[in-house]
Amino acid sequence: MAQQLAMVIDAAKCIDCKGCVAACKVANNVPEGQFRNWIKHAEYRAVPGISDNGVRFQPGACMHCENPTCVAACPTGATYKDFDTGEVVIDASLCIGCGNCIPACPYHARYRNEVTRKADKCNYCPERRAAGLQPACVDTCPTKARVFGDINDPTSAAGALFLKNKERLTRVTAKTNTLPNMYYLGDPGPGDWGGEAVVPASMVAMQESAPFIKGIVALSGLGVLAMLGRQLFAGSGSDHKEDTDA
Amino acid sequence: MPDKTYKRHDRSDIFIHWFNAACWLLLLLTGVGLIQNPAVDPFGSGYPAWLRSVVGGGGNLLAIHEGIGLAWIAGFVLYLLVNFRGARFFLAEVFSVSPARDMGWMLKKMVLMTLGPKALKAAGVDPDLPDQGYYNMGQKAFAQASVVGGVVIAVTGVIMYLSDRTFGAEATGMVGWAVAVHFISVGLVFAGLLVHVYMAAVSPDERPGFKSMFTGVVPGGYARHHHRLWWEKVSTEPEQGSEE
Repeated sequence: MAQQLAMVIDAAKCIDCKGCVAACKVANNVPEGQFRNWIKHAEYRAVPGISDNGVRFQPGACMHCENPTCVAACPTGATYKDFDTGEVVIDASLCIGCGNCIPACPYHARYRNEVTRKADKCNYCPERRAAGLQPACVDTCPTKARVFGDINDPTSAAGALFLKNKERLTRVTAKTNTLPNMYYLGDPGPGDWGGEAVVPASMVAMQESAPFIKGIVALSGLGVLAMLGRQLFAGSGSDHKEDTDA
Repeated sequence: MPDKTYKRHDRSDIFIHWFNAACWLLLLLTGVGLIQNPAVDPFGSGYPAWLRSVVGGGGNLLAIHEGIGLAWIAGFVLYLLVNFRGARFFLAEVFSVSPARDMGWMLKKMVLMTLGPKALKAAGVDPDLPDQGYYNMGQKAFAQASVVGGVVIAVTGVIMYLSDRTFGAEATGMVGWAVAVHFISVGLVFAGLLVHVYMAAVSPDERPGFKSMFTGVVPGGYARHHHRLWWEKVSTEPEQGSEE
């Protein structure tokens, strides 16, 4: 089975220290005011005299979905699902920052990097992995709430955690279910903040017009074939008065 | 009878025509390879994947496409500097349409080229074509599409080029539309290009016109038959023609 890199997160261990958010910004030169990952909070209201364990923290980032709507919204394939590793990748050299993929992510995991002017999001820190390190957010987490690896490999930490808890893992539920590869153990708090994948009207126009464009080109091609057929089989001189005129 | 020839194209006109043709071919081949989305790509994703592997990745393909596109625009700027009068003459000719004469020509010509004169006679229509000027209506229609489409393609191309160089996030709506409009315009112009290439390079009727895109001149007989209104004008100006 091919790899599926994923995060399996023990939500109960998250203490909202924001270490993962800071480590990611530093490791990936994320511009000020922009973020590749986050920690969401449960709505919590302190009621005097009542002990409430309702505080929930939900670390998140790009979920490298099974069914990535961002990939479908990209016209050039600059963002694509790498089926060998299960990652959703942005080829920065091919991305022109058209922005189609950003509203197409129902989890708001993508942003347009204001320095590179291209789409950006969590990429599981490929430079660190190449050096044998864990992604920055995973490495820095003091409580080891974030566990990263190939969930199809039972010998990896993430795979073992995934297999052991398969029945009770939860995913973020969005209006558009993209089958995210981010799994939560324990109650991760806010579950329904995921929105709806919005494909920009321009991309819809391109998709909808494509069959018509192909049809017009085909019609023109048929016209040319008809003319060629007439030229080859009927000849074209009979109705042509140039010779007699000249 | 010894045929007089009439000048149709300057050397700069001939250059820009073939320069444009070469750029269009390369831009089309590289551009189609940049569209890799199953809902859009014209020939399926196999062609983009193959072309990307040939040039060493999608990023290289994009850079090549952008480079040729910028050279194409620069070529037209150069042409306008060298032969602005020629460009103005071309635009004036191409956009002057006489509805009654030219629409009749267009409809009859389409039937003649595909079904033949018998189809027109059977429908009770005189198969003779209305006289045409410097360009016939088919040439004008494709030239109009090329000029308008070319400007739209160039402008949307520059917008996309600047997207990750100059523009901020607020411009993404415009860039998204530039992508879509670029794609649609190229498709429409390409449909016309198929007919243009057939008429010019394959159809024997237009062979002298095709040759004139190299030599710059057409024989008088061709001019009189295909562009009678223009021929009537230039044949009365003795300095325009030359004995062959």
